[in-house]
Amino acid sequence: MKLGVFLSDLRRTENTIERLKAEKFGIFLVSNGIYHATLKFNGEISPVLKIQGANYYALLEDLQTRGLSENNLVDKKIKVITYDGLVDLIMNDYEQLAWL
Amino acid sequence: MADTKLLFLVQRPPYKSENPRLAITHAISYQTVDLFLEEGETVTPVLAFVGDGVLNCLKDQKSIQTYDTTSTETHVKNSLLLDIKVIVCKEDLERLGISHDRLADAADMGAESSINVAPFVEIMKEMETSKHLLCF
Amino acid sequence: MATLTIGTFSSLVGSMSLDFVAKLSTAAVNKGHKVNIWLSGNATMLAKKGQKAFKDYSHLEKSIRELLSKGVEITTCEACTLARGIHKEDTIEGIRWDAMHWYLAKIANSDRVLHIGGE
Repeated sequence: MKLGVFLSDLRRTENTIERLKAEKFGIFLVSNGIYHATLKFNGEISPVLKIQGANYYALLEDLQTRGLSENNLVDKKIKVITYDGLVDLIMNDYEQLAWL
Repeated sequence: MADTKLLFLVQRPPYKSENPRLAITHAISYQTVDLFLEEGETVTPVLAFVGDGVLNCLKDQKSIQTYDTTSTETHVKNSLLLDIKVIVCKEDLERLGISHDRLADAADMGAESSINVAPFVEIMKEMETSKHLLCF
Repeated sequence: MATLTIGTFSSLVGSMSLDFVAKLSTAAVNKGHKVNIWLSGNATMLAKKGQKAFKDYSHLEKSIRELLSKGVEITTCEACTLARGIHKEDTIEGIRWDAMHWYLAKIANSDRVLHIGGE
């Protein structure tokens, strides 16, 4: 399974993401989900960023909207993407998509 | 003959938002989807309740008496009556201290199928064999 | 080119998820993909015409009209729309009215589905 998961909240009411497993796993941080890419919590990166083997993406426009940029990323593995890049990724790299 | 399997994954509790109810009614609409499909094409929905979403499946919901709106329990029962596979996550029931006998059952409506309580790994298998995933 | 179907329940005002839907759809269409959009629950508000473009609130009527002109199929859930007191004559020309089975059929024939159902 090539699974792309969209995370749009900072605080979450579900723990689905931690339980998912996929052969290829992409995590798209959009809307308030971008705070996972840019904040540390008591000095630690978000648990969302600790999923083994996952590819991480943060949407540029949602970073900029919230006063943040690529300079604020807390982990080098996060790639900043535009909407054009997002379309290419979901069409070419991930077959199933989940908005959590 | 092409069948498209869709997994409806419900993660949130009922009543605070409309979304769990819409998950179930969207799944039930498979009954009439052939209006828009080519001859031989079918859709098979599977409804899975995980996380706090398992609370949608409790029995004895009385929203019709309290707020004059149908309950998520009624929709779960309708799903069973229509032979939709309904799975509830075993680990989440245990985490919330809910025994299986507290789950909705549609036997009184004549349903032949009942809720499957299964570990999350079984729900992952459903996900892997579905063409698309819809999370609520 | 591929087909992307997006379903959403988010409201026009109070959330920016519909802005996300409009931008993603525009990017996909501009790359030559086919896009379908399903509006259900509070998202049916997006179908309402006469949206005042206050800068304090999301306003997407212009974007929606552009997407429709580019061949994007947008359908609003009839029951969800009527439940909110919005009638056919109140909605943007070109938006279809139908039921959930329309969405399931589009999903069945799509390469990618993004269902924004949880918020």
